[in-house]
Formats: sequence, structure tokens, C-alpha cells
Amino acid sequence: MPVAASAVYFLNLRGDVLINRMYRDDVGGNMVDAFRTHIMQTKELGTCPVRQIGGCSFLYMRISNVYIVTVVSSNANAACAFKFVVEAVALFKSYFGGAFDEDAIRNNFVLIYELLDEIMDFGYPQNLSPEILKLYITQEGVRSPFSSKQQDTRPPANATLQVTGAVGWRREGLVYKKNEVFLDIVESVNLLMSQKGTTLRCDVTGKILMKCFLSGMPDLKLGLNDKIGLEKEAQAKARPSRSGKTIELDDVTFHQCVNLTRFNTEKTVSFVPPDGEFELMKYRITEGINLPFRVLPSIKELGRTRMEVNVKVKSVFGAKMFALGVVVKVPVPKHTAKASFQVSSGRAKYNAALDCLVWKVRKFPGQTELTMSAEVELISTMVEKKSWTRPPIQMEFQVPMFTASGLRVRFLKVWEKSGYNTVEWVRYITRAGSYEIRC
Amino acid sequence: MNADNRKGELVELKNQLRQLAGSRAPGVEDVKRELYKKVISYMTIGIDVSSLFGEMVMCSATSDLVLKKMCYLYVGNYARGHPDLALLTINFLQKDCHDEDPMIRGLALRSLCSLRVMNLVEYLVGPLHAGLKDSNGYVRTVAAMGVLKLYHISPSSCTDNDFPATLKTQLLQDSDAQVVANCLCALQEIYLAEASRSDGSLKDRDSLYTTSVIYLLINRIKDFSEWAQCLVLDVVSKYVSSNPEESFKMMDILEDRLQHANSAVVLATIKVFLHLTLSMADIHQQVYERIKAPLLTLVSSGSVEQSYAVISHLHLLVLRAPTVFASEYKHFYCRYSDPSYVKKLKLEMLTAIANESNTYEIVTELCEYAANVDVAIARESIRAVGKIALQQYDVNAIVDRLLQFLEMEKDYVTAETLVLVKDLLRKYPQWSHDCIAVVGNVSSKNVTEPKAKAALVWMLGEYAYDMLDAPYVLEGFVENWAEEESAEVRLELLTAVTKIFFKRPPESIKMLGAALAAGLADAHQDVHDRALLYYRLLQQGVEIAERVVNPPKQAVSVFADTQSSEIRDRIFDEFNSLAVVYQEPSYMFLDKEHRGPIELTEDTGILPMDSKLSDDVLPSQHVEANDNDLLLSASEREESRGGVGNGSYAYSGPDLSGFDTPSPAAPSNNASLSSTSHTSPAIDDLLGLTFPAAPVPTSPSLKLKPKPLLDPATFQRKWSQLTIASTLDHTLSQPAALPSPQPLLRHMQAHSIECMASGGQAPKFKFFFFAQVADSPPSTGFFLVEFVVNTSSGISQAKVKADNADLVTAFGNLFVSTLRKFGSS
Repeated sequence: MPVAASAVYFLNLRGDVLINRMYRDDVGGNMVDAFRTHIMQTKELGTCPVRQIGGCSFLYMRISNVYIVTVVSSNANAACAFKFVVEAVALFKSYFGGAFDEDAIRNNFVLIYELLDEIMDFGYPQNLSPEILKLYITQEGVRSPFSSKQQDTRPPANATLQVTGAVGWRREGLVYKKNEVFLDIVESVNLLMSQKGTTLRCDVTGKILMKCFLSGMPDLKLGLNDKIGLEKEAQAKARPSRSGKTIELDDVTFHQCVNLTRFNTEKTVSFVPPDGEFELMKYRITEGINLPFRVLPSIKELGRTRMEVNVKVKSVFGAKMFALGVVVKVPVPKHTAKASFQVSSGRAKYNAALDCLVWKVRKFPGQTELTMSAEVELISTMVEKKSWTRPPIQMEFQVPMFTASGLRVRFLKVWEKSGYNTVEWVRYITRAGSYEIRC
Repeated sequence: MNADNRKGELVELKNQLRQLAGSRAPGVEDVKRELYKKVISYMTIGIDVSSLFGEMVMCSATSDLVLKKMCYLYVGNYARGHPDLALLTINFLQKDCHDEDPMIRGLALRSLCSLRVMNLVEYLVGPLHAGLKDSNGYVRTVAAMGVLKLYHISPSSCTDNDFPATLKTQLLQDSDAQVVANCLCALQEIYLAEASRSDGSLKDRDSLYTTSVIYLLINRIKDFSEWAQCLVLDVVSKYVSSNPEESFKMMDILEDRLQHANSAVVLATIKVFLHLTLSMADIHQQVYERIKAPLLTLVSSGSVEQSYAVISHLHLLVLRAPTVFASEYKHFYCRYSDPSYVKKLKLEMLTAIANESNTYEIVTELCEYAANVDVAIARESIRAVGKIALQQYDVNAIVDRLLQFLEMEKDYVTAETLVLVKDLLRKYPQWSHDCIAVVGNVSSKNVTEPKAKAALVWMLGEYAYDMLDAPYVLEGFVENWAEEESAEVRLELLTAVTKIFFKRPPESIKMLGAALAAGLADAHQDVHDRALLYYRLLQQGVEIAERVVNPPKQAVSVFADTQSSEIRDRIFDEFNSLAVVYQEPSYMFLDKEHRGPIELTEDTGILPMDSKLSDDVLPSQHVEANDNDLLLSASEREESRGGVGNGSYAYSGPDLSGFDTPSPAAPSNNASLSSTSHTSPAIDDLLGLTFPAAPVPTSPSLKLKPKPLLDPATFQRKWSQLTIASTLDHTLSQPAALPSPQPLLRHMQAHSIECMASGGQAPKFKFFFFAQVADSPPSTGFFLVEFVVNTSSGISQAKVKADNADLVTAFGNLFVSTLRKFGSS
């Protein structure tokens, strides 16, 4: 049985109930109290997102300042339950337009109840596609477009299909004056480097985000410089694959609109896109990653009350590019008194709440080397020599126009039977995922 | 807001609603909306607004959709408490069921089915029938789910109206995929419930898992929404394919599901693949290779909670097929920011996949975590290093690492490491030299945790020859006997001191006397008994005592597994469910009232005899539990039980001055030790094996507690701890009287013998019974019976285990006579 949720609760951080929707009778009404007393008010909070109390399982996640709790009494499917919550939140966001937090819930609780009623019936997920739901659930409470009381005398044949979702992601008859497609390749690069500067673990998780404003029912075809796709193409055209970099994707997952059969046979990504914003694909790469930054730390403990920190950061992407919002966090012991800095660019200070020296550089050009050196004074403590365990140095950054994997869009073709022209916009950005350097 | 205040507001709301009820003034809908909103928000925060029921219903005659929905929500919440008032809503709901707008029809039907009022069931049947035939798919999806709701209110009116059959047809014929999906989940639930309600036959449910249904579903897989796909794939995974070609074809069709963005769909697909290939070992292996990449992607995407759900499944697969994942070990490195529940799983996976080629890297990484700020994870990592050491042949480098931990001089690191070094030495005694040199340097003052202390004491006793100052360190422990809070340490201390006495008598004789004296005066029963045992053994003669207490040891080759393979297979069967997350089969955690007697599947017993503490979730606890047992070598364990069993003997106060040289002491107390239980040949009866010569005190008036209580976990634990005390064969006089297990269960129950679990199929049934001696304190005096009966031949066999072995015969007689009565009654 996939989910069969017995109840769904939204709570704020104090444990007040914001939304309370019971789907089944097989759990008691006091489940919120159980959650509050056994999870929220104990150290259990945050130790594990799936917990069992009195024969019921609580699956909870925190989104901004709201806890969403799914209660099940059967042996439910945890992956499905969490995914459902994530999708439901995305749906709510698309209705409220932006934030999902306590205030938004309070202001829209009637709408949320309406939606909860629609997206889950008797504990089983139903239709969660915003595209379709927006056709008949509106904040104004008007009659649905298929209502025969309105202009049309009979419902259009495909409306049924849409509501119950055979081609659930796009409705017909969309018209845009200007046909535009936006495609963003967003990569986050994860790194774990040892003290000695060897890479222990490095991978890139990327996603392709699209925003489509296209009329009619367009067919899109996307070509990337990934290895499988290129080889397939070369085979088909019976010529050797072009020189230049090819990327080996470890694994790809696609939005439901992508024709997977065609991907498996022809290795091209072809799809009829949903209207508006969506995530086309996700991928993972572990080979041939270009790290945008090298970090060379040196931390010396001078006696019991002084430390010398020296961090050299080198940008290794193209000289014409630059990184934004670079933050380097160097951990220091809890009993740090103060620190004095010398930086070649940006600003640095000691953050006592994080126990870190935080060095920020707003704009970091390519092919340059910046340094921060700091003298840290420690409060001499009575607790003897207990050696300090150093957490890793962490880094945050964004590099526009750069992909750590080297992935590029080779082409993006839009085909629609009316034959209109489209404008395509492609952007690249690489962010730091968990970029950790042990020191 | 205080209660009075709130009450006042409710009254006011009531009045306002009443005024609006009949009003048709313009703008009245907006006012109503505001009032309804208020009511719903009260309802949300848990204030009882059911007193407004009448007014709410009166106001609900409206064409405003939002208003309608709020009203339905309200009515659905409170109808059960006000069945008569709920009747008022029926009228307009039924009217709405015939509205021209399919959305309104659907909405009304859904609300109608959600009223959950028994005596309104008759009003449901008509609209449901109509709904299932509706031209609009949306209404049909609602109706299909409505049937399930009806079943939960009143199973009989659902089946009497032939709804399951209608759903079945709909399942095969409907053009709308969501309708099919809803039919599928409704039917699954209904059939399962029907089976447990009547004869327990799953024939109906199995009719869903036939070739025609499964093929239909697979071929339409792309029509289904991602949620419905999860459901369909789950159903497909229950299908048993007839031949490999069929399995391949199915996997071909479903392969692209592995690329789906929804992790639940991918997991469901993986389940299908794994189950389809269970009988084909090599293909099964290839499946692991195929699913590796998608799983690793899912782990690193989505929210922490989602990736936790995936990682739990990955964990299961890694433990099943470690070699497949061995090359991907870097994926299991912990991120600093990972929550500790994820780190823990990752550590276990790293431990599992360590092999010759990656051990060095993995252990290096684990050593990094040992310095982690998170103490719990640091401990886990050290344990992980130890486990790797125990499973590898080439432990050279690892031993060095472990010993380096001791130099970190952190209490918890030292503590964990000591326990590990002890285990390591038991498996690889050849390392004793290197280890002991380092352990000897550990200052015993830095060791505070009982487990670590016990380990240290054990090593001191065991390797007294190699550690020059061993007697003096132990002496320190003995001197602090009174301050030592842990009985575990005191027990270990007794053994260690006794052992060292055999090895280096001159240095330890005084300490032995002190330890035995302290032990005999100890308030803890086990400690006292062990001290007494050693004392008496020593009286028998030092050589005899040495043979018992300090025999040459064999290295332990394999440590007992923490979870029986049977349990793990069961969890694997429940892939893609909470069972995997909790790491225990679902019957262990589902609510008791939902649970009822546990069903046995076919003839595989649900209560594996060898299962070790399977109710423990945390593997680390298993390890500790095992350590406890294994600290004592087999012979020692028997000894200690002997001591316990012997506790009732009267003894004259031991005279410690009775022996002051390690020469055989005169057997002065021999008379009181006549009953043979100390020497090894007679140990058998201590373990509860039937001992023909032993006179069993028959107690003809054995009375059983009318309603004994025992939870399955305890039952299981007892079952695995106790040995079979008696086997009873009996032939039922009227075998035909047992078409299903229920009558027998009721009969036994009437005679105070409760059933813990039953199962099997005609003609062979298997039961687990239990009973408790009347007037015995809770959790003692239990009898556990495994009862197998063949109903066609009438031959039955019962295996009895008991807390109190003396009463076995009496209970056996009672049991057989009860069975006999069953035949004749």
C-alpha cells in the first residue's frame, strides 16, 4: 500500500495546529498531542524524520517555519509520503505565489483545505499537478470551466482527461504573443578534501530548470554534450564523434514529460513541456569535474592561547568569469576571544555564534589568488590540553556561466505545428553544495 | 482565550448563522464565508464547534462552491457525533450528486461518502452506483474511492451490493488511468480486509495478481500519475512471473521508470526488479548493478527527509550485496552537514562494503570521524573500524589505527576502543602482544564507562602474563569494589581476579580473598552467586577450578550476527515501506489493535528460534548485547547459570582462610554440593533438557491465569532463550472438526491458553500458544507451546517451553486433556 495517510497536520514551531486534515478514522484525534509531547518537546526533534509512537508512524519535515506531519497507521511507503509533502508544498507555493510559511498558511487556510481535499482522497494521493488543479480550484470559488451552466453547453472532450491526468502536465489552447524558452543549467558541486589536499570525494549534482512560455502543443528537443548522446548521434550519422569535450553522466532522471522510451533508444531528450516553470532533468557526475576553487589552509596553534590561520583561495575558472557571494568559513575553537585579520580582498570577521572566522568576497575574479590571514586569541581555559577537533573549512559561492561538469547545451529545438519562432535563453551557474576542506 | 469567552463567541456565531440561514439578501454569501472561515479555524485548533451543526447545515443551501466545500469539511468532521443532524445534509448532497457540473457531482459524492455514519449507509448506495457509471472520469475516481469508504463504514452493505465486482470490471475496462488506480487500491484493501474477516483466504486478492491484470497495468504504466505508478508498481511486485522470458519482458517495459524523478517511483520499480529476479541469481546481481546509479542520484537529491527514505533502502541493499557497492565507497563518506541519522546509516554501509581494495581508504576516513565533534557519531565510527577489523583477514594496519585511538586520550574514544580491542583479541589472539603493550599504558583512571572497564578487566585477567602490573591494577579495582556501580564490571572483576590467581598466585592471593569476600557480600544476586561458585570450585581443588574458570580458549571465528537472516529476508520482502526505515518487519511495529494474532505465512514460522533480540532497532545495541554474552566463554556461561540455579542451597559462611596455598583444599563442604550441578557432565539439566531420572514434582492442581498477557516481543525472546522442556504427541479424536484454526483457538482460550500466532493451510496448521500459572507475578510463570497439527490425519505435536521447568509435566497433562476435550465437545 503506497501511502494511505491517516492524517496530515501543519504545525508552527510552537506546536500550534495550523491545518488539521483527517483522512481516515484509524488514528485517534489526539495525534497532534502525541507529536508535540513525544517529538517536538523532546530532544528527539531532528534526530530522525520517521518516528513511531503508540503504533502510529509520524513522518515529519520542517519547511521554513512549519512542520508538516503525516500520520500513518499502516506499513506505509516513506519515500512516497515525503515526496507527496514536497509536491504539495510546491503546489501551495504556486497558489500563494512564493513563500510557504506560517503566515501564508494562516492567510490561505480555506484554500489549503480545499486543495488537501483534492490532492488526497482517503489517504491516497490523487492529482497534484498545479496546471490541472488551477483549472477548477481557484481562490474565487467560481464554477469549474466545464460547468455547463457557463458559456459552453457541453464540457470539452479533453477536459476530463486533463482533470484526471492522462497528459496531466499541459493544457491545450495556450497562446503567447512572444514565444520564449528559458533554460538554466544549475550545478552544485560537492567536495571533500583531506588535509593533504587529496580529493576524497567529489561529485556534481545538476539540474536543468526550464521556463516555457510557448503557444500550442510544442515538441522540444534538447541536445547536450554528454557522451552517450553524442556517441549515439555519431553512430547514426556514421561518422566519428566530434572532437571536444564530452561529458559522462553517471545517472539521469527526467520530468514526467520526457519521452523516456525515446531517450533510451535515440538518447535524445524530447518532450512536450508543461506551461511555466519546471525541472526538466537531474543528473549526477563524478568524473572529470573542474573544481572552481582550490583552498590551501594552514592553521598553526601557537601555545595555548594563540592561533595563526592562513587561508589561500585560488580561483581556477576562466579569467573573464567571476564568482559571486564567496564565503569561506574557517572553524575556530569555542573559547576564541578575538581575531585580527588581514585580507587581500573582501571582509572577514569572527562569528562567535558559528565558532567560525567568516571571510566574504563579493566578487571573485577568475584565475586569481586571494588570501586571508588571521591571528586568533584564545581564552586560556582551565580544562587542560584537550585537543580541539577541527571541523572542516566550508565554502559557499556561485559562479555564473560556468559548469563544474563542463556540460553545455548544443541545441534546443522547438517544433510546433503552427511553426512560430521562439527565442531561447540558456544560462549556466555553478554553486557550492557541500564544499568542505579538512584542515 | 478562556472558556467562557469562547463559549460566548460560539453562541454569537450560532446566532449570526441562524439569522443568515433564510436570508437571500445580496452579499450574504460573503458574510457567510467569513463566518464559516471562523468556524473552520476553530475546528482546526481543536475547539469543539459541533454545537453549531444545525446552523451550519441550514446555511449550506448555497450555490457558492467555496462555501459548500467548507460546509462539507465541517460536516465530514462532526457527522459521526450527530447522526440525526447529518441526515439533514443528505438531501442537498444527493441533489448535488446530480448536478450538471462534474466537479460538483464529484465533490458531493466524496462528501457523502465521508460522513461515516452507519445509519446513512442506505443513502450511499444509489449515488455510488451512479457515480461509478458517470460519464466523467473525475466522478468515477471519487466513486471508486467512495466504495472503499463505504466498506470501512459497513463492509456488508458494500459486498452485498456487489461493489467489489463492479470495481473489478472497472479496473479492467475504464479508460481513465486514475479511476483504474483508485479501483486498485480500493480492491486491495477490501480483499485483504475480507480475507481476515472471513476464512482467511486470499483468493480474491490474489485474483488481482494474475497475468491479465498485471499486463494491463504494465502496458498502461505511462498513463498513470506518478502516485498511481507507485501503487501499480507495488502491485506488480507481488506478481510471480511464470518464466524468465516473461520477467525480462516486464523489466524491459518498466526499465525507463528507473529514470523517473520521483524517488518513490524509482524505489517501487527497484522492488519489482528485485522480486522478479529472486530466483535468477546472476540476473539478480545485474539488477543491483543497474539500480546502483539511480539510487545514488536519489540519495544526493531532494530534501534530507527524502534522501533519508532512500538511504534506508540503499542501506538494506548494500548489506545484501556489499560487493556491488564496494567500488562506490566514496559516496558513503559523511558530509559534515549530514544529520546524524544519515551519518549512522552511512557508517554502517561503509563497514559493510569494506574489502581488500578499499579498506585502507575507508578506515582512514572512519578515523577522521573519530575526531568528529559529534560524540555519538565518533563512537559509531570507532565501532565501525572495529567491525571492519573483525571481518577482514589482513588486520595489520587496522590494529595500529585502533591503538592510535587510545593515544587520543578522549574518554569516549578510549572506552570504545578498549571494547573493540577486547573483541579483536578474542578473534585474533596472535595480536595480543602488540595490543597489550598499548593497553597496558592506558591509565585505568581514564576509563569510566562500565563496558570499557569490563573490557579492560577482562584483558588484565586474560593476559596477566604479558602485563607486569596486571595484579596491581586489578587490586586497585578490588579496593574500590564498593564504589563500583556496575554489576557487569564486578562480575568481570571476580572472573579476572580468579584467573590471575591461577597464573600469578603469589601476587594475587590476597586480592582474591578480598574480591570473593566482597562478592559474597554483594547485594547483586549474580555477583554474589558467581563469587560463591568460585569459592566452592576453589574448595574442590585449584586444578578443577582452573579447568573450569580458565580453560584454554579457542579464538572466536565468527561473532553472532545481530539480525537473523530470516528477519532480514522479511524486511527485504517489504521493500519500499516503513519496515526498511525501521529495520524491522512490519508485524513488529504495527499497532497492536490492528495486529491481532500474527499470521504465519505457510509453514515458515514467524518466530525464528535463533533470532537474537530482533526487537532491538539499533545495531549498536546488538553489539553490546552480544558482548555481554560473549565476554564469557561458553563454559563460563554455563558456570554462571549453574551458580544462579544453585542460589537456593543453604551454605555455611565461607571460610576464606580455609585455603591459603594453591594446593587442593579439603572438600569440607562436599555434602551440600551433592547435587552434581557444578561439574560439566551434569550441566544439561540446568539448560532445561529433559532429565529422565530427575523426579518432577507433579502438582495436580496446576491452575492457569484466566487472561494471561504477553506481548509478541517477549514471547519471542522467551522462546529463543528457553529450551524445549517437553514434547507431546497427541492424536485428535475428531480431526474433521478443524476446517480452520478459529474453533480450536476459541476452545483453548476458554481454557486459559491464549494464542500468540497461528498460520498454515489445511490440512497443516501451526500455532504458538502461551499460558501463565495463576497467581504468578507478571512476566513469569509462562508456558510457551508450539503446536503443529495435521487435520486430515489428526496427528499433532506440541513442543512446550516453560519459565518454570518443574511445572512442565503438569502443564503437559493439562494441555493434552484440554485438547481431548476439544475433540469431544
